[in-house]
Amino acid sequence: MKASRSLVILLSIAVCVALPPFLPRHFVDLLVFAGIYTVAGLGVGLLLGQCGIANLGQIVFYAIGAYATAYLTVYVQAPAMVGFVVGMLISAALALTIGWPILRLTGYFLALATLAMGIVANALFFEWDWLTGGTLGIGGIPKLQIFSFVLDTPLRFYYLVLGVVAICLLLAHNLIRSRTGLALRAMRDSQDAAISLAVNPRALRTRIFILSALLGSVAGSLFAHYGGFANVQSFGIEKSINFLLIPVLGGATSLIGVVVGALFIAVVPELLSQFGGLHQILFGVALIGVVVLMPAGLTGALAEVWRRSAEGARP
Amino acid sequence: MSGHTEILSLRSVGHSFGGFSVLKNVNFSVPHGSIVGLIGPNGSGKTTLFNVISGYIRHQHGLVAYDGHNMQAESIQARSSAGLVRTFQTPKVFEQMTVLENIMAGACKLTRSGVIEDIFSLPRSRADMRRIFELAEEACLKFGMEKLRHDLALRLPAGQRRVLEIARAVIGRPRLLMLDEPSSGLNTNEIASLRRWIEQLRAEGIAILLVSHDMELMTVADCVHVLYFGEIIASGGMDEIQKNTQVREVYLGA
Repeated sequence: MKASRSLVILLSIAVCVALPPFLPRHFVDLLVFAGIYTVAGLGVGLLLGQCGIANLGQIVFYAIGAYATAYLTVYVQAPAMVGFVVGMLISAALALTIGWPILRLTGYFLALATLAMGIVANALFFEWDWLTGGTLGIGGIPKLQIFSFVLDTPLRFYYLVLGVVAICLLLAHNLIRSRTGLALRAMRDSQDAAISLAVNPRALRTRIFILSALLGSVAGSLFAHYGGFANVQSFGIEKSINFLLIPVLGGATSLIGVVVGALFIAVVPELLSQFGGLHQILFGVALIGVVVLMPAGLTGALAEVWRRSAEGARP
Repeated sequence: MSGHTEILSLRSVGHSFGGFSVLKNVNFSVPHGSIVGLIGPNGSGKTTLFNVISGYIRHQHGLVAYDGHNMQAESIQARSSAGLVRTFQTPKVFEQMTVLENIMAGACKLTRSGVIEDIFSLPRSRADMRRIFELAEEACLKFGMEKLRHDLALRLPAGQRRVLEIARAVIGRPRLLMLDEPSSGLNTNEIASLRRWIEQLRAEGIAILLVSHDMELMTVADCVHVLYFGEIIASGGMDEIQKNTQVREVYLGA
């Protein structure tokens, strides 16, 4: 079982590396967005799958990353790395400031608090046009470059995003397999029992909330460099809902589930766009279908099929 | 070990919910390495007393001292880290985790790696996980759960859940283990095993505060206190308690 799983992962990596040069440019573009969404969705997925927290405010940190990159690279002409780092620092500070009071809440109340956070932030991004450019936004964000190699095509940017996704998944894997991961899942399953084992839920949740914010910020900075602009329309509450849908659709407790969920969110609407005005309805039907038929997400359903076939193959 | 002969001492502990007094002037102590029993009819305040001692409820009157220290201001986590560990009347296992992971979670407090170390899988984090894993494997063997260790706790029957909860509490090296109805849901063989484990834990120097309706199991205790409407009405060995007229009237039956 373990060997076959490793084989599937290796094959997936080989496909991710080798296939894109042979795909149409438009499709590679979708894969770049799937990668960026994976990074942002991973933060939401860690909160949902490991802590049992539904975060509807990831857009705040995604936007902070994008605006930090846009402002600093366009108006201050700072190097790209400065935009990434400043975005992450602001996101971490804000996550600590907001997270400490609201993470005392649980369940629907906490989800609503994060939703409110997203709504307030969107209104501020709209009103603070001296900083964010308001509805016009900030354009002309330079392309990323590694030394003199400019990432000015979807394919080049794709490989950067692929690397970032791989690193983030590896680090998240480490976290889940560690004592912190054990404590998180214990807290998710029974907070009372976890507390009796000396787990501090509020402190632990705040740390993971900060981690989630950092991932959101990195994704936002990548988005800004790739699109070349950052404006308030890109940071609406519907994007936060999409970020939450990523782990819900893919499977909240699985890291691969986050990748699958991000691919679903990035690719399926485009595939359905050939149906014209109906495509949003069809996307909604697809979402309902997955959530109703596969409560453990797409990877949860696949794992179940795999488990049953393995049991059936046993003599 | 400190110079105190008692690991736990309660002096004039009282608590009310609204205007209703659930604990009234409760006094007793648990000597180091001893087993102390707490019995009483349903609603007599046993679980409230457990919640007070473990910190889930902040008591309003009196003193709860653990190893000579007043615990009034201490959090549940601080008490647990100091070795005061409890189980629950209805077992609270981590259902979506395996048996092994459940037990490993109980040993997390013995290690100190932080989130950053864990994310980057630094040497201390890896060493901590190896230690936790080894301790949990040993506990699986000790409590007869080695064949179940990769099963989800969700799939365990009630009796095994209770054993799992005890194993998870014990792996954290408690100095005072508070067992709330540990024999509930266990069959005769499992209760016999439970009794052996309790005696073994005492032999290892762990003090035990035991709440149970099982009078046979309660004979393992060195001293038993009877709680009735929030007050201790009798104390002594189980033989003595069973002969006490008032206890027979209000709890054991004539």
